[in-house]
Amino acid sequence: MQKVELEANSSGVKKSWWLILLLIASLIAPLFLTEFYLTVLCEALVMSMLALSFNLLFGYMGQLSFGQAAFYGLGGYAVAMLMTKVHFNFWLSIVAGVLVASIIGLIVGFFCVRLRGIYFAVLTLAFGQLIFFIVFKWHNFTGGDDGIQGIFPPEFLKSPTNYYYFLLIIFLLSAWVLWKIIHSPFGQTIVSMRENSERTEFLGINIAKYQLITFVIAAAIAGLAGAIWVPFYRSVAPSYLTWIKSGEPVMAAILGGPGLFFGPVLGMFIMTFFHSWVLGFTIYWPVVMGALILVVIFFLPGGILGFIQEKINQRKEIRNRE
Amino acid sequence: MFLQTQGITKEFGKLRAVNEVSLEIVKGDIHAIIGPNGAGKSTYFNLITGYHRATSGKVLFRDKEITNLPAYSRCNLGITRSFQITSIYPKLTVYESVLMGLLSHRKVTLNFFSSAKKFFREEVWRTLEDVGLADQANTLGDSISHGDKKRLELAITLGTEPELLCLDEPTCGMSPEETDVAMSLIKKFSEERGLTILFTEHDMSVVFGIAKRISVLHQGTLIADGTPKEVRASEEVQKVYLGGSA
Repeated sequence: MQKVELEANSSGVKKSWWLILLLIASLIAPLFLTEFYLTVLCEALVMSMLALSFNLLFGYMGQLSFGQAAFYGLGGYAVAMLMTKVHFNFWLSIVAGVLVASIIGLIVGFFCVRLRGIYFAVLTLAFGQLIFFIVFKWHNFTGGDDGIQGIFPPEFLKSPTNYYYFLLIIFLLSAWVLWKIIHSPFGQTIVSMRENSERTEFLGINIAKYQLITFVIAAAIAGLAGAIWVPFYRSVAPSYLTWIKSGEPVMAAILGGPGLFFGPVLGMFIMTFFHSWVLGFTIYWPVVMGALILVVIFFLPGGILGFIQEKINQRKEIRNRE
Repeated sequence: MFLQTQGITKEFGKLRAVNEVSLEIVKGDIHAIIGPNGAGKSTYFNLITGYHRATSGKVLFRDKEITNLPAYSRCNLGITRSFQITSIYPKLTVYESVLMGLLSHRKVTLNFFSSAKKFFREEVWRTLEDVGLADQANTLGDSISHGDKKRLELAITLGTEPELLCLDEPTCGMSPEETDVAMSLIKKFSEERGLTILFTEHDMSVVFGIAKRISVLHQGTLIADGTPKEVRASEEVQKVYLGGSA
């Protein structure tokens, strides 16, 4: 038993070297990137938070949400409306954005968690579109299809570089919180629900309750992502809440690998950077993206990170045998 | 009174799968429910464990009515079950699977920030050793043999430290050797942990070898209930069930 633990510890140190490397790279990135690519990097970080929140539901709890962008958009709209209409403080607006997303998440989740599989997915899609249409049509209150412009962060966050570091901190904190949750007894419970919900219920777990808690956590993180993105982009539009936007974390998770914590982050980085690069020479970006997804689904069913992990494990096994 | 059903009935459309069964299970007993295929054994089981809701009648556990409680609440009261088709966690390790039962039973599943692996190490290892799966602790649930999966399910349910353990066909699909091992395990847990065991079984040699009390269902109706000797002697049981085979 002790031997097993020791092995786990040493591989933990070995495993984290690339994380440290990535952290250093992300700290010095603004020195090397043009403002355009720094903006792309910011977007990748924020969208990665959305992807991580989605994957808590999809990869860990095993339910496909097709309405995750609704919470992202709600977080963004809450910040935009509070800051422009009642001149609310920036920080408090972000807190309010998270709260709004969580409360709506609680209401939507209340209905969705009673269902599983495709019915869960369709109901999240329906609620997502419902929220989108309310925002889109309620012109007097939300600005309708014009969206809301002129949302500014505090003075010291106005430079893209400073805002980038702010986003990085929030991203790292969110990722850390999600990481802790996934490895906690609560996380073990939702993974067990994914693996066999009947068995788990017959161990004394109220499935709907745990699904609802997970749903609200995911909505809160998505709301936080929207809330911190809008002041950087200075505007918000109804397109943030559409099911097309909700499809992005789905694709990112499949691309990067939903079975690994950082899979959706890798997927979202690839998508965001690829997007801005491909757009430079063709407007048919969805075609390119579609082809990429096809290749991954057929040849790398565990996603790109899943594939890398598998190769590393195979090499380790060969080394162990020798 | 430990567990009691009072005139419990379950109808699926026009089919009356369980017909007004009144039965008592005594604490500490190993109690078998037998009957031919389609006799309503599994349905009766499902009414006790909360998989199905009764059409009429009552289920009482420790004098408290549990007829309409959801399955997870019954589990929290101390009633745990296994399934006829082995129900385990295919992509969790054997260790993690057993841990899950304990996490649930000891009410730590709303802990969001401690590492799950740090909980209940001793208890998990003890249970794994008790059922003989300690050497496969880090193997995934779907990579172990069929007999081991049955034992794993037993270990998972033991994690919830039940008072009443309901086993639906615990030796289904096992070889004779595996059956012997499984039954001696069940007997051991009944004695060591003071568990009350309710099980369904089609293999008569198993039933008469271990059960202290046997109830016989036929077409949803209880036709006999008593010690193995009494049940064997019952004419009605001879007629409908044991017939030439016993």
